[in-house]
Amino acid sequence: MITAEGLTKRFGDKTAVDDVSFTVQSGKVTGFLGPNGAGKSTTMRMIVGLDRPTAGSVTVNGAHYASMRAPLREVGVLLDAKAVHTGRTARNHLRAMAATHGIPSRRVDEVIELTGIGSVARKRAGKFSLGMGQRLGIAAALLGDPQTLILDEPVNGLDPEGVRWVRQFVRYAAGEGRTVLLSSHLMSEMAQTADHVIVLGRGKVLADAPLDELVRSWTTTTVRVRSPRAAELVSLIAGPDVEVSALEPGLVQVVGLAASRIGDIAAEKAIPLHELTPATGSLEDAYLALTGDAVEYVSKEIA
Amino acid sequence: MTALTVDAPTQARTADVRLTFGRVLRSETIKLLTLRSTWWSIIVVAVLSVGLATIVAASMSAFNDTANQSAAQLSQLVASAVIAPIQFTMLLAGALGAIAVTGEYSTGMIRSTLTAEPRRGVVLLSKALIVAALLFVVSLLVFFVSTLPAAAIIGTSPIDVADPGIVLQPVLYGALSMAVFAVIGLSWGFLLRSGPGAIAATVGLLFVLPIVGMMFPSEGAWSWISHAALYLPMSAAQSLTVPPGSEGALSIPVALIALAGWVAAGLLGSWAVLRSRDA
Repeated sequence: MITAEGLTKRFGDKTAVDDVSFTVQSGKVTGFLGPNGAGKSTTMRMIVGLDRPTAGSVTVNGAHYASMRAPLREVGVLLDAKAVHTGRTARNHLRAMAATHGIPSRRVDEVIELTGIGSVARKRAGKFSLGMGQRLGIAAALLGDPQTLILDEPVNGLDPEGVRWVRQFVRYAAGEGRTVLLSSHLMSEMAQTADHVIVLGRGKVLADAPLDELVRSWTTTTVRVRSPRAAELVSLIAGPDVEVSALEPGLVQVVGLAASRIGDIAAEKAIPLHELTPATGSLEDAYLALTGDAVEYVSKEIA
Repeated sequence: MTALTVDAPTQARTADVRLTFGRVLRSETIKLLTLRSTWWSIIVVAVLSVGLATIVAASMSAFNDTANQSAAQLSQLVASAVIAPIQFTMLLAGALGAIAVTGEYSTGMIRSTLTAEPRRGVVLLSKALIVAALLFVVSLLVFFVSTLPAAAIIGTSPIDVADPGIVLQPVLYGALSMAVFAVIGLSWGFLLRSGPGAIAATVGLLFVLPIVGMMFPSEGAWSWISHAALYLPMSAAQSLTVPPGSEGALSIPVALIALAGWVAAGLLGSWAVLRSRDA
Protein backbone atom coordinates (compact mmCIF):
# COMPACT_ATOMS: atom_id res chain seq x y z
CA MET A 1 0.00 0.00 0.00
CA ILE A 2 1.29 3.44 -0.94
CA THR A 3 -0.03 6.37 1.07
CA ALA A 4 0.56 9.98 0.07
CA GLU A 5 -0.56 12.74 2.41
CA GLY A 6 -0.50 16.37 1.38
CA LEU A 7 2.40 15.65 -0.92
CA THR A 8 3.77 18.86 -2.43
CA LYS A 9 6.81 19.57 -4.59
CA ARG A 10 7.88 22.99 -5.80
CA PHE A 11 10.73 23.66 -8.20
CA GLY A 12 11.45 27.34 -7.80
CA ASP A 13 8.12 29.10 -8.22
CA LYS A 14 6.58 26.23 -10.20
CA THR A 15 4.48 23.78 -8.23
CA ALA A 16 4.86 20.36 -9.81
CA VAL A 17 2.83 18.45 -7.23
CA ASP A 18 0.28 20.40 -5.23
CA ASP A 19 -1.03 18.97 -1.95
CA VAL A 20 -1.72 15.50 -3.33
CA SER A 21 -3.21 12.77 -1.17
CA PHE A 22 -4.07 9.27 -2.33
CA THR A 23 -3.84 5.62 -1.39
CA VAL A 24 -2.68 2.91 -3.76
CA GLN A 25 -4.15 -0.35 -2.55
CA SER A 26 -2.52 -3.75 -2.68
CA GLY A 27 -4.05 -6.50 -4.78
CA LYS A 28 -4.97 -4.06 -7.52
CA VAL A 29 -3.35 -2.48 -10.53
CA THR A 30 -3.66 1.27 -10.11
CA GLY A 31 -3.24 3.38 -13.21
CA PHE A 32 -1.57 6.73 -12.81
CA LEU A 33 -2.77 9.05 -15.55
CA GLY A 34 -2.28 12.65 -16.44
CA PRO A 35 -1.03 14.94 -19.18
CA ASN A 36 2.69 15.62 -19.61
CA GLY A 37 3.89 17.77 -16.76
CA ALA A 38 1.00 16.79 -14.47
CA GLY A 39 3.40 15.60 -11.77
CA LYS A 40 3.23 11.81 -12.17
CA SER A 41 6.96 11.21 -12.48
CA THR A 42 7.78 13.68 -9.72
CA THR A 43 5.31 11.89 -7.44
CA MET A 44 6.91 8.54 -8.24
CA ARG A 45 10.37 9.95 -7.60
CA MET A 46 9.22 11.24 -4.22
CA ILE A 47 7.86 7.79 -3.31
CA VAL A 48 11.35 6.28 -3.70
CA GLY A 49 13.14 9.21 -2.08
CA LEU A 50 14.90 10.63 -5.13
CA ASP A 51 13.09 13.95 -4.78
CA ARG A 52 12.47 15.42 -1.37
CA PRO A 53 8.88 16.66 -0.89
CA THR A 54 8.51 20.37 -0.19
CA ALA A 55 5.66 19.42 2.12
CA GLY A 56 3.68 16.33 3.08
CA SER A 57 4.91 12.76 3.06
CA VAL A 58 4.55 9.47 1.28
CA THR A 59 5.04 5.97 2.67
CA VAL A 60 5.04 2.44 1.28
CA ASN A 61 3.47 -0.10 3.62
CA GLY A 62 3.75 2.49 6.37
CA ALA A 63 7.48 3.12 5.98
CA HIS A 64 9.41 5.95 4.39
CA TYR A 65 11.55 4.64 1.55
CA ALA A 66 14.80 5.95 3.04
CA SER A 67 14.22 4.03 6.29
CA MET A 68 13.82 0.63 4.59
CA ARG A 69 16.48 -1.96 5.30
CA ALA A 70 15.77 -3.88 2.09
CA PRO A 71 14.25 -1.32 -0.29
CA LEU A 72 14.70 -3.48 -3.41
CA ARG A 73 12.64 -6.20 -1.78
CA GLU A 74 9.93 -3.78 -0.73
CA VAL A 75 9.66 -1.65 -3.85
CA GLY A 76 10.62 -2.31 -7.46
CA VAL A 77 10.80 0.88 -9.44
CA LEU A 78 11.13 1.67 -13.12
CA LEU A 79 11.59 5.37 -13.70
CA ASP A 80 10.65 7.18 -16.86
CA ALA A 81 14.16 8.43 -17.57
CA LYS A 82 16.98 5.94 -18.15
CA ALA A 83 18.75 4.94 -14.96
CA VAL A 84 21.52 2.69 -16.27
CA HIS A 85 25.20 3.49 -16.94
CA THR A 86 25.64 3.23 -20.70
CA GLY A 87 29.15 1.82 -20.41
CA ARG A 88 28.22 -1.21 -18.32
CA THR A 89 26.72 -4.46 -19.60
CA ALA A 90 23.15 -5.29 -18.65
CA ARG A 91 24.24 -8.25 -16.56
CA ASN A 92 26.89 -6.26 -14.68
CA HIS A 93 24.34 -3.52 -14.02
CA LEU A 94 21.99 -6.06 -12.47
CA ARG A 95 24.86 -7.72 -10.56
CA ALA A 96 25.86 -4.36 -9.05
CA MET A 97 22.25 -3.63 -8.06
CA ALA A 98 21.79 -7.11 -6.60
CA ALA A 99 25.05 -6.93 -4.66
CA THR A 100 23.75 -4.10 -2.45
CA HIS A 101 21.18 -6.47 -0.94
CA GLY A 102 23.10 -9.74 -1.18
CA ILE A 103 20.64 -10.97 -3.82
CA PRO A 104 22.18 -14.17 -5.29
CA SER A 105 23.43 -14.13 -8.87
CA ARG A 106 20.95 -16.87 -9.85
CA ARG A 107 18.21 -14.30 -9.25
CA VAL A 108 20.06 -11.96 -11.66
CA ASP A 109 19.94 -14.71 -14.30
CA GLU A 110 16.29 -15.31 -13.47
CA VAL A 111 15.19 -11.73 -14.14
CA ILE A 112 17.29 -11.68 -17.32
CA GLU A 113 15.44 -14.79 -18.47
CA LEU A 114 12.08 -13.45 -17.31
CA THR A 115 12.36 -10.19 -19.23
CA GLY A 116 13.84 -11.81 -22.32
CA ILE A 117 17.15 -9.93 -22.47
CA GLY A 118 19.34 -13.05 -22.31
CA SER A 119 20.77 -12.53 -25.80
CA VAL A 120 21.97 -8.98 -25.03
CA ALA A 121 22.81 -9.37 -21.33
CA ARG A 122 26.54 -9.15 -22.03
CA LYS A 123 26.25 -6.11 -24.27
CA ARG A 124 26.78 -2.61 -22.97
CA ALA A 125 23.51 -0.91 -22.11
CA GLY A 126 24.39 2.14 -24.21
CA LYS A 127 23.87 0.02 -27.34
CA PHE A 128 20.36 -1.04 -26.32
CA SER A 129 17.25 -0.08 -28.26
CA LEU A 130 14.49 1.73 -26.39
CA GLY A 131 12.57 -1.51 -25.91
CA MET A 132 15.60 -3.47 -24.68
CA GLY A 133 16.49 -0.66 -22.28
CA GLN A 134 12.93 -0.80 -21.00
CA ARG A 135 13.17 -4.55 -20.43
CA LEU A 136 16.44 -4.04 -18.54
CA GLY A 137 14.72 -1.44 -16.36
CA ILE A 138 11.90 -3.88 -15.64
CA ALA A 139 14.45 -6.61 -14.85
CA ALA A 140 16.10 -4.29 -12.31
CA ALA A 141 12.73 -3.50 -10.76
CA LEU A 142 12.01 -7.21 -10.30
CA LEU A 143 15.41 -8.12 -8.76
CA GLY A 144 14.24 -8.11 -5.16
CA ASP A 145 10.90 -9.82 -5.96
CA PRO A 146 9.27 -6.69 -4.49
CA GLN A 147 5.91 -6.40 -2.77
CA THR A 148 5.24 -3.09 -4.51
CA LEU A 149 5.86 -2.22 -8.14
CA ILE A 150 6.09 1.37 -9.35
CA LEU A 151 6.40 1.49 -13.11
CA ASP A 152 6.59 4.77 -14.99
CA GLU A 153 5.63 4.22 -18.64
CA PRO A 154 6.73 0.56 -18.64
CA VAL A 155 5.40 -0.20 -22.12
CA ASN A 156 7.04 2.83 -23.71
CA GLY A 157 8.99 1.50 -26.70
CA LEU A 158 8.06 -2.14 -26.16
CA ASP A 159 6.94 -4.37 -29.02
CA PRO A 160 3.37 -5.76 -28.90
CA GLU A 161 4.59 -8.99 -27.31
CA GLY A 162 6.37 -7.01 -24.59
CA VAL A 163 3.31 -4.82 -24.03
CA ARG A 164 1.19 -7.90 -23.52
CA TRP A 165 3.79 -9.43 -21.22
CA VAL A 166 3.81 -6.34 -19.00
CA ARG A 167 0.01 -6.36 -18.86
CA GLN A 168 -0.12 -10.02 -17.89
CA PHE A 169 2.74 -9.64 -15.45
CA VAL A 170 1.24 -6.75 -13.50
CA ARG A 171 -2.20 -8.42 -13.48
CA TYR A 172 -0.57 -11.55 -12.08
CA ALA A 173 1.41 -9.56 -9.51
CA ALA A 174 -1.75 -7.79 -8.34
CA GLY A 175 -3.49 -11.17 -8.20
CA GLU A 176 -0.82 -12.29 -5.77
CA GLY A 177 -1.74 -9.39 -3.53
CA ARG A 178 1.04 -7.04 -4.56
CA THR A 179 0.66 -3.30 -4.99
CA VAL A 180 1.10 -2.02 -8.54
CA LEU A 181 1.24 1.65 -9.53
CA LEU A 182 1.56 2.07 -13.26
CA SER A 183 1.65 5.15 -15.45
CA SER A 184 0.99 5.18 -19.16
CA HIS A 185 -0.31 7.45 -21.86
CA LEU A 186 -1.75 4.51 -23.79
CA MET A 187 -5.38 4.65 -22.73
CA SER A 188 -6.48 1.48 -24.47
CA GLU A 189 -3.64 -0.39 -22.75
CA MET A 190 -4.51 1.13 -19.40
CA ALA A 191 -8.18 0.24 -19.88
CA GLN A 192 -7.17 -3.41 -20.19
CA THR A 193 -4.71 -3.36 -17.31
CA ALA A 194 -5.90 -1.15 -14.48
CA ASP A 195 -8.56 -1.79 -11.83
CA HIS A 196 -8.34 1.63 -10.31
CA VAL A 197 -7.27 4.98 -11.71
CA ILE A 198 -5.75 8.09 -10.22
CA VAL A 199 -5.73 11.06 -12.60
CA LEU A 200 -3.40 13.99 -12.00
CA GLY A 201 -3.65 17.36 -13.71
CA ARG A 202 -1.47 20.39 -13.00
CA GLY A 203 -0.17 18.71 -9.87
CA LYS A 204 -3.57 17.98 -8.35
CA VAL A 205 -5.68 14.82 -8.10
CA LEU A 206 -8.53 15.17 -10.60
CA ALA A 207 -10.00 11.73 -10.01
CA ASP A 208 -9.35 8.70 -7.84
CA ALA A 209 -11.86 5.97 -8.63
CA PRO A 210 -12.35 2.42 -9.91
CA LEU A 211 -11.82 2.36 -13.67
CA ASP A 212 -15.40 1.48 -14.70
CA GLU A 213 -16.87 4.03 -12.34
CA LEU A 214 -14.60 6.72 -13.75
CA VAL A 215 -15.59 5.86 -17.31
CA ARG A 216 -19.27 5.80 -16.41
CA SER A 217 -19.31 9.14 -14.70
CA TRP A 218 -17.18 10.99 -17.25
CA THR A 219 -18.68 9.67 -20.47
CA THR A 220 -22.22 9.38 -21.80
CA THR A 221 -23.78 6.09 -22.83
CA THR A 222 -25.47 6.30 -26.20
CA VAL A 223 -27.80 3.87 -27.94
CA ARG A 224 -28.00 3.52 -31.70
CA VAL A 225 -31.46 2.57 -32.83
CA ARG A 226 -32.27 1.49 -36.39
CA SER A 227 -35.88 0.95 -37.33
CA PRO A 228 -38.05 1.38 -40.45
CA ARG A 229 -40.52 3.18 -38.13
CA ALA A 230 -37.92 5.29 -36.35
CA ALA A 231 -39.94 8.49 -36.32
CA GLU A 232 -42.81 6.72 -34.58
CA LEU A 233 -40.49 5.21 -32.00
CA VAL A 234 -38.81 8.58 -31.30
CA SER A 235 -42.13 10.13 -30.39
CA LEU A 236 -42.85 7.25 -28.01
CA ILE A 237 -39.56 7.48 -26.11
CA ALA A 238 -39.47 11.27 -25.91
CA GLY A 239 -39.04 12.68 -22.41
CA PRO A 240 -37.35 15.50 -20.50
CA ASP A 241 -33.99 13.69 -20.04
CA VAL A 242 -33.98 11.96 -23.38
CA GLU A 243 -32.01 13.43 -26.22
CA VAL A 244 -32.46 12.05 -29.71
CA SER A 245 -30.46 12.90 -32.79
CA ALA A 246 -31.10 11.57 -36.27
CA LEU A 247 -27.97 10.13 -37.87
CA GLU A 248 -29.47 9.07 -41.19
CA PRO A 249 -32.94 8.06 -42.38
CA GLY A 250 -34.13 5.25 -40.09
CA LEU A 251 -31.17 5.56 -37.70
CA VAL A 252 -31.15 7.62 -34.51
CA GLN A 253 -28.84 8.04 -31.55
CA VAL A 254 -30.44 8.18 -28.11
CA VAL A 255 -28.88 9.59 -24.96
CA GLY A 256 -30.53 9.29 -21.58
CA LEU A 257 -32.50 6.09 -21.97
CA ALA A 258 -31.24 2.54 -21.51
CA ALA A 259 -31.22 0.18 -24.50
CA SER A 260 -33.43 -2.27 -22.58
CA ARG A 261 -36.10 0.38 -22.06
CA ILE A 262 -36.08 1.34 -25.74
CA GLY A 263 -36.39 -2.32 -26.71
CA ASP A 264 -39.33 -2.83 -24.33
CA ILE A 265 -41.19 0.20 -25.68
CA ALA A 266 -40.64 -0.97 -29.26
CA ALA A 267 -41.91 -4.44 -28.41
CA GLU A 268 -45.05 -3.07 -26.73
CA LYS A 269 -45.98 -1.20 -29.88
CA ALA A 270 -44.74 -3.96 -32.20
CA ILE A 271 -42.23 -1.64 -33.85
CA PRO A 272 -39.55 -3.70 -35.60
CA LEU A 273 -35.94 -2.95 -34.56
CA HIS A 274 -33.07 -3.65 -36.95
CA GLU A 275 -30.38 -2.48 -34.59
CA LEU A 276 -30.17 -1.61 -30.90
CA THR A 277 -26.57 -0.90 -29.89
CA PRO A 278 -25.56 0.60 -26.57
CA ALA A 279 -22.13 2.27 -26.68
CA THR A 280 -20.26 3.29 -23.56
CA GLY A 281 -17.49 5.82 -23.67
CA SER A 282 -13.88 4.71 -23.48
CA LEU A 283 -11.29 5.46 -20.82
CA GLU A 284 -9.78 7.81 -23.37
CA ASP A 285 -13.04 9.76 -23.65
CA ALA A 286 -13.28 9.95 -19.86
CA TYR A 287 -9.65 10.98 -19.56
CA LEU A 288 -9.96 13.71 -22.16
CA ALA A 289 -13.15 15.03 -20.61
CA LEU A 290 -11.51 15.03 -17.20
CA THR A 291 -8.18 16.62 -18.10
CA GLY A 292 -9.47 19.03 -20.75
CA ASP A 293 -8.67 22.08 -18.63
CA ALA A 294 -5.58 20.64 -16.98
CA VAL A 295 -3.52 19.98 -20.07
CA GLU A 296 -0.38 22.04 -19.87
CA TYR A 297 1.03 21.47 -23.33
CA VAL A 298 -1.88 21.58 -25.75
CA SER A 299 -1.52 20.31 -29.29
CA LYS A 300 -3.02 22.42 -32.02
CA GLU A 301 -6.34 21.07 -33.25
CA ILE A 302 -6.06 19.77 -36.79
CA ALA A 303 -8.72 21.54 -38.86
CA MET B 1 9.74 -11.77 -22.77
CA THR B 2 9.14 -15.37 -21.97
CA ALA B 3 5.58 -16.33 -22.70
CA LEU B 4 3.78 -15.92 -19.42
CA THR B 5 6.34 -17.44 -17.13
CA VAL B 6 4.98 -14.96 -14.68
CA ASP B 7 5.04 -17.37 -11.78
CA ALA B 8 7.55 -14.90 -10.35
CA PRO B 9 10.15 -17.09 -8.66
CA THR B 10 10.66 -16.29 -5.04
CA GLN B 11 14.32 -17.14 -4.57
CA ALA B 12 15.04 -13.57 -3.56
CA ARG B 13 12.76 -14.02 -0.56
CA THR B 14 14.44 -17.07 0.82
CA ALA B 15 17.90 -15.55 1.18
CA ASP B 16 18.87 -13.00 3.78
CA VAL B 17 18.16 -10.11 1.44
CA ARG B 18 18.88 -6.70 2.94
CA LEU B 19 21.34 -3.82 2.81
CA THR B 20 24.64 -3.97 4.65
CA PHE B 21 27.62 -1.65 4.39
CA GLY B 22 29.83 -4.49 3.17
CA ARG B 23 27.36 -5.31 0.39
CA VAL B 24 27.20 -1.69 -0.74
CA LEU B 25 31.02 -1.69 -0.84
CA ARG B 26 30.86 -4.81 -2.99
CA SER B 27 28.34 -3.19 -5.32
CA GLU B 28 30.56 -0.12 -5.71
CA THR B 29 33.52 -2.40 -6.46
CA ILE B 30 31.55 -4.17 -9.18
CA LYS B 31 30.48 -0.83 -10.62
CA LEU B 32 34.02 0.57 -10.70
CA LEU B 33 35.63 -2.54 -12.17
CA THR B 34 32.98 -3.14 -14.86
CA LEU B 35 33.66 0.14 -16.66
CA ARG B 36 36.24 0.35 -19.42
CA SER B 37 37.20 3.89 -18.41
CA THR B 38 38.53 2.54 -15.09
CA TRP B 39 40.81 0.04 -16.81
CA TRP B 40 42.01 2.58 -19.35
CA SER B 41 42.91 4.97 -16.55
CA ILE B 42 44.82 2.22 -14.76
CA ILE B 43 46.71 1.25 -17.92
CA VAL B 44 47.68 4.86 -18.63
CA VAL B 45 48.77 5.36 -15.02
CA ALA B 46 50.90 2.18 -15.22
CA VAL B 47 52.52 3.04 -18.54
CA LEU B 48 53.21 6.66 -17.60
CA SER B 49 54.57 5.71 -14.17
CA VAL B 50 56.95 2.97 -15.31
CA GLY B 51 58.01 4.83 -18.46
CA LEU B 52 58.69 8.17 -16.78
CA ALA B 53 60.39 6.54 -13.79
CA THR B 54 62.75 4.77 -16.19
CA ILE B 55 63.55 7.98 -18.08
CA VAL B 56 64.03 9.96 -14.86
CA ALA B 57 66.31 7.24 -13.50
CA ALA B 58 68.37 7.33 -16.70
CA SER B 59 68.76 11.10 -16.52
CA MET B 60 69.74 10.85 -12.84
CA SER B 61 72.39 8.26 -13.47
CA ALA B 62 73.80 10.44 -16.26
CA PHE B 63 73.85 13.46 -13.96
CA ASN B 64 75.08 11.89 -10.74
CA ASP B 65 78.35 10.13 -10.15
CA THR B 66 76.59 6.95 -9.06
CA ALA B 67 79.83 4.99 -8.68
CA ASN B 68 80.96 7.02 -5.69
CA GLN B 69 77.64 7.17 -3.81
CA SER B 70 76.56 5.18 -0.80
CA ALA B 71 73.83 2.57 -1.03
CA ALA B 72 71.53 4.90 0.92
CA GLN B 73 72.12 7.74 -1.53
CA LEU B 74 71.42 5.44 -4.47
CA SER B 75 68.19 4.22 -2.87
CA GLN B 76 67.21 7.84 -2.45
CA LEU B 77 67.65 8.36 -6.19
CA VAL B 78 65.55 5.27 -6.97
CA ALA B 79 62.77 6.53 -4.70
CA SER B 80 62.81 9.97 -6.34
CA ALA B 81 62.62 8.45 -9.82
CA VAL B 82 59.74 6.15 -8.88
CA ILE B 83 57.71 8.93 -7.27
CA ALA B 84 58.41 11.57 -9.95
CA PRO B 85 55.56 10.57 -12.34
CA ILE B 86 52.93 11.43 -9.69
CA GLN B 87 53.09 15.00 -11.04
CA PHE B 88 51.21 13.71 -14.07
CA THR B 89 49.42 10.59 -12.88
CA MET B 90 47.75 12.58 -10.08
CA LEU B 91 45.53 14.13 -12.74
CA LEU B 92 44.44 10.68 -13.91
CA ALA B 93 43.71 9.68 -10.31
CA GLY B 94 41.60 12.80 -9.89
CA ALA B 95 39.82 12.27 -13.19
CA LEU B 96 39.06 8.64 -12.36
CA GLY B 97 37.51 9.72 -9.06
CA ALA B 98 35.49 12.46 -10.77
CA ILE B 99 34.20 10.19 -13.53
CA ALA B 100 33.19 7.50 -11.02
CA VAL B 101 30.54 10.00 -9.88
CA THR B 102 29.76 12.18 -12.89
CA GLY B 103 29.33 9.10 -15.12
CA GLU B 104 26.43 8.12 -12.87
CA TYR B 105 24.85 11.55 -13.14
CA SER B 106 25.23 11.88 -16.91
CA THR B 107 23.71 8.44 -17.57
CA GLY B 108 21.03 8.50 -14.86
CA MET B 109 22.66 5.54 -13.06
CA ILE B 110 22.69 7.62 -9.87
CA ARG B 111 18.91 7.06 -9.63
CA SER B 112 19.43 3.29 -9.61
CA THR B 113 22.24 3.67 -7.08
CA LEU B 114 20.15 5.81 -4.72
CA THR B 115 17.05 3.64 -4.97
CA ALA B 116 19.12 0.55 -4.11
CA GLU B 117 20.72 2.34 -1.14
CA PRO B 118 18.63 5.36 -0.14
CA ARG B 119 20.99 6.37 2.69
CA ARG B 120 23.09 8.75 0.67
CA GLY B 121 25.90 9.05 3.21
CA VAL B 122 26.53 5.31 2.83
CA VAL B 123 26.71 5.69 -0.95
CA LEU B 124 29.17 8.57 -0.64
CA LEU B 125 31.37 6.81 1.88
CA SER B 126 31.49 3.48 0.05
CA LYS B 127 32.24 5.13 -3.29
CA ALA B 128 35.06 7.15 -1.73
CA LEU B 129 36.50 4.10 0.04
CA ILE B 130 36.48 1.93 -3.08
CA VAL B 131 37.96 4.60 -5.37
CA ALA B 132 40.65 5.37 -2.78
CA ALA B 133 41.44 1.69 -2.22
CA LEU B 134 41.72 1.03 -5.96
CA LEU B 135 44.12 3.94 -6.50
CA PHE B 136 46.18 2.99 -3.43
CA VAL B 137 46.61 -0.64 -4.50
CA VAL B 138 47.22 0.16 -8.18
CA SER B 139 49.76 2.87 -7.34
CA LEU B 140 51.57 0.62 -4.91
CA LEU B 141 51.86 -2.16 -7.51
CA VAL B 142 52.94 0.25 -10.22
CA PHE B 143 55.57 1.87 -7.97
CA PHE B 144 57.02 -1.51 -7.06
CA VAL B 145 57.25 -2.44 -10.72
CA SER B 146 58.90 0.94 -11.44
CA THR B 147 61.64 0.32 -8.87
CA LEU B 148 62.96 -2.58 -10.97
CA PRO B 149 64.08 -0.62 -14.07
CA ALA B 150 64.94 2.45 -11.96
CA ALA B 151 67.20 0.44 -9.66
CA ALA B 152 68.77 -1.42 -12.57
CA ILE B 153 69.68 1.85 -14.31
CA ILE B 154 70.96 3.57 -11.18
CA GLY B 155 72.92 0.44 -10.34
CA THR B 156 71.60 -0.65 -6.98
CA SER B 157 69.26 -3.28 -5.61
CA PRO B 158 65.55 -2.34 -5.86
CA ILE B 159 65.23 -2.06 -2.11
CA ASP B 160 68.16 -1.34 0.16
CA VAL B 161 67.99 -4.21 2.65
CA ALA B 162 69.93 -2.19 5.22
CA ASP B 163 67.33 0.57 5.26
CA PRO B 164 64.19 -0.45 3.34
CA GLY B 165 62.42 2.70 4.54
CA ILE B 166 64.37 4.88 2.10
CA VAL B 167 62.34 3.46 -0.78
CA LEU B 168 59.31 2.03 1.02
CA GLN B 169 58.26 5.17 2.85
CA PRO B 170 58.01 7.49 -0.19
CA VAL B 171 56.33 4.73 -2.18
CA LEU B 172 53.69 4.21 0.52
CA TYR B 173 53.10 7.94 0.91
CA GLY B 174 53.00 8.28 -2.87
CA ALA B 175 50.28 5.64 -3.11
CA LEU B 176 48.41 7.30 -0.26
CA SER B 177 48.61 10.63 -2.08
CA MET B 178 47.19 9.07 -5.25
CA ALA B 179 44.23 7.79 -3.19
CA VAL B 180 43.74 11.31 -1.78
CA PHE B 181 43.81 12.85 -5.28
CA ALA B 182 41.15 10.37 -6.41
CA VAL B 183 38.89 11.30 -3.47
CA ILE B 184 39.38 15.00 -4.29
CA GLY B 185 38.24 14.28 -7.87
CA LEU B 186 35.30 12.27 -6.54
CA SER B 187 34.30 15.15 -4.28
CA TRP B 188 34.30 17.59 -7.20
CA GLY B 189 32.14 15.05 -9.01
CA PHE B 190 29.52 15.09 -6.25
CA LEU B 191 29.74 18.89 -5.93
CA LEU B 192 29.43 19.72 -9.63
CA ARG B 193 27.80 16.57 -11.13
CA SER B 194 29.26 17.39 -14.56
CA GLY B 195 32.25 15.47 -15.92
CA PRO B 196 34.06 18.35 -17.65
CA GLY B 197 33.37 20.68 -14.72
CA ALA B 198 34.62 18.23 -12.11
CA ILE B 199 37.77 17.39 -14.09
CA ALA B 200 38.53 21.07 -14.69
CA ALA B 201 38.10 21.83 -10.99
CA THR B 202 40.32 18.86 -10.08
CA VAL B 203 43.07 19.97 -12.48
CA GLY B 204 42.76 23.50 -11.10
CA LEU B 205 43.19 22.41 -7.50
CA LEU B 206 45.87 19.78 -8.08
CA PHE B 207 47.89 21.33 -10.90
CA VAL B 208 47.16 25.00 -11.51
CA LEU B 209 46.99 26.42 -7.97
CA PRO B 210 50.47 25.10 -7.00
CA ILE B 211 51.88 26.88 -10.07
CA VAL B 212 50.09 30.08 -9.07
CA GLY B 213 51.58 29.70 -5.57
CA MET B 214 55.08 29.46 -7.06
CA MET B 215 54.65 32.83 -8.79
CA PHE B 216 54.76 34.59 -5.44
CA PRO B 217 57.94 35.18 -3.44
CA SER B 218 58.47 33.18 -0.27
CA GLU B 219 59.62 36.36 1.56
CA GLY B 220 58.02 39.75 2.05
CA ALA B 221 54.46 41.03 2.23
CA TRP B 222 53.04 38.50 -0.23
CA SER B 223 54.85 35.50 1.23
CA TRP B 224 51.66 34.22 2.90
CA ILE B 225 50.46 33.10 -0.53
CA SER B 226 53.48 30.93 -1.15
CA HIS B 227 53.24 29.60 2.44
CA ALA B 228 49.56 28.81 2.05
CA ALA B 229 50.32 27.06 -1.24
CA LEU B 230 52.41 24.52 0.70
CA TYR B 231 49.16 23.14 2.09
CA LEU B 232 47.66 22.49 -1.36
CA PRO B 233 47.11 18.75 -2.01
CA MET B 234 50.00 18.38 -4.47
CA SER B 235 52.45 20.34 -2.32
CA ALA B 236 51.50 18.44 0.83
CA ALA B 237 51.95 15.17 -1.06
CA GLN B 238 55.39 16.30 -2.23
CA SER B 239 56.36 17.07 1.35
CA LEU B 240 55.64 13.42 2.17
CA THR B 241 57.83 12.03 -0.58
CA VAL B 242 60.87 14.33 -0.67
CA PRO B 243 63.91 13.33 1.40
CA PRO B 244 63.36 14.29 5.08
CA GLY B 245 64.40 17.82 6.01
CA SER B 246 64.14 19.20 2.47
CA GLU B 247 63.82 22.95 2.26
CA GLY B 248 60.33 24.42 1.82
CA ALA B 249 58.51 21.22 2.78
CA LEU B 250 55.93 20.59 5.47
CA SER B 251 56.82 18.12 8.22
CA ILE B 252 55.31 14.68 7.64
CA PRO B 253 52.61 14.95 10.35
CA VAL B 254 51.56 18.40 9.12
CA ALA B 255 51.47 17.19 5.50
CA LEU B 256 49.33 14.20 6.50
CA ILE B 257 46.95 16.46 8.40
CA ALA B 258 46.74 18.79 5.38
CA LEU B 259 45.82 15.88 3.08
CA ALA B 260 43.30 14.56 5.62
CA GLY B 261 41.83 18.04 5.74
CA TRP B 262 41.34 18.09 1.97
CA VAL B 263 39.65 14.68 2.08
CA ALA B 264 37.42 15.74 4.98
CA ALA B 265 36.48 19.02 3.29
CA GLY B 266 35.71 17.26 0.02
CA LEU B 267 33.58 14.56 1.64
CA LEU B 268 31.72 17.00 3.89
CA GLY B 269 30.97 19.27 0.94
CA SER B 270 29.81 16.28 -1.09
CA TRP B 271 27.62 15.10 1.77
CA ALA B 272 26.02 18.52 2.12
CA VAL B 273 25.16 18.60 -1.59
CA LEU B 274 24.18 14.95 -1.93
CA ARG B 275 21.79 14.91 1.02
CA SER B 276 19.97 18.10 0.12
CA ARG B 277 19.71 18.09 -3.66
CA ASP B 278 17.23 15.98 -5.60
CA ALA B 279 18.86 13.18 -7.56
